[in-house]
Amino acid sequence: MKRNIVKVAIALLVGIVMLAACSSDKGPAELAIKAAEEAVNASKAEAAKYVPEELKSLEGALAAVKDNFAKKEYKAAIADAQALAGKAKDLLGAANAKKEELTKSWTDLSEGLPKMVGAIQSRVDILSKSKKLPANLTAEKFTEVKSGLAAAQEEWGKAMESFKAGNIAEAVSAANSVKGKAVSAMETLGMPVPAGAKS
Amino acid sequence: MADDQGKGPGGSDPYDATQYHEVVKGDTLWKIAERYYGDGSLYTNIFEANQDILKDPNKIKIGQKLRIP
Repeated sequence: MKRNIVKVAIALLVGIVMLAACSSDKGPAELAIKAAEEAVNASKAEAAKYVPEELKSLEGALAAVKDNFAKKEYKAAIADAQALAGKAKDLLGAANAKKEELTKSWTDLSEGLPKMVGAIQSRVDILSKSKKLPANLTAEKFTEVKSGLAAAQEEWGKAMESFKAGNIAEAVSAANSVKGKAVSAMETLGMPVPAGAKS
Repeated sequence: MADDQGKGPGGSDPYDATQYHEVVKGDTLWKIAERYYGDGSLYTNIFEANQDILKDPNKIKIGQKLRIP
């Protein structure tokens, strides 16, 4: 009987010690999660624009950390939350690098595309006065070029609006589409495609 | 007739979309306009685009690089 009381007491003591150890990790875990959450939030705005997939993955990882906390797995929550804060910093770095890359692309395209579109417009204006189109250019193809040019000019306007609104990724995407249309028009018209537009 | 695809006097700009034609024996502005525009009577466009090197539309020299607008 006495032995049993001792066993129960030991078991209780072990339980209390374990509970105390666990509870002592709760506070640090809360702090670590808060820090990780703040780090993720700090990189969110730029990451959502430039590296959305990576942000999604990081938010998933943050949710997993919170799950661990809810399951009272505080040690794991602390370790993962601390790692997450570092990853959030890296994500912000990646977003900034992508922004820089897109800005450079935009600068190149915004300098080059107006020259291409202007050259195509000039050729179309002259060919529109021609009594007979040059060899290898049918009336049907010429009509396609004219409508493609109009679409490219409209899209270029949208690209500039996107850039002014701060949507660089959207602006570059639209500009690349304009470049594709301009290259196609130049090839149809027998004009040289500039080296910068071939990449 | 020889065309020089975008490699004209100012060929260092990667987005330079200017088309050039290098004059060869037998070329006239009329013939060049016929080749690029399908209509020789549009030669004035080429003449006007090259006023810095052409003074007379009837006088072009072999080797000259003409802008084709």
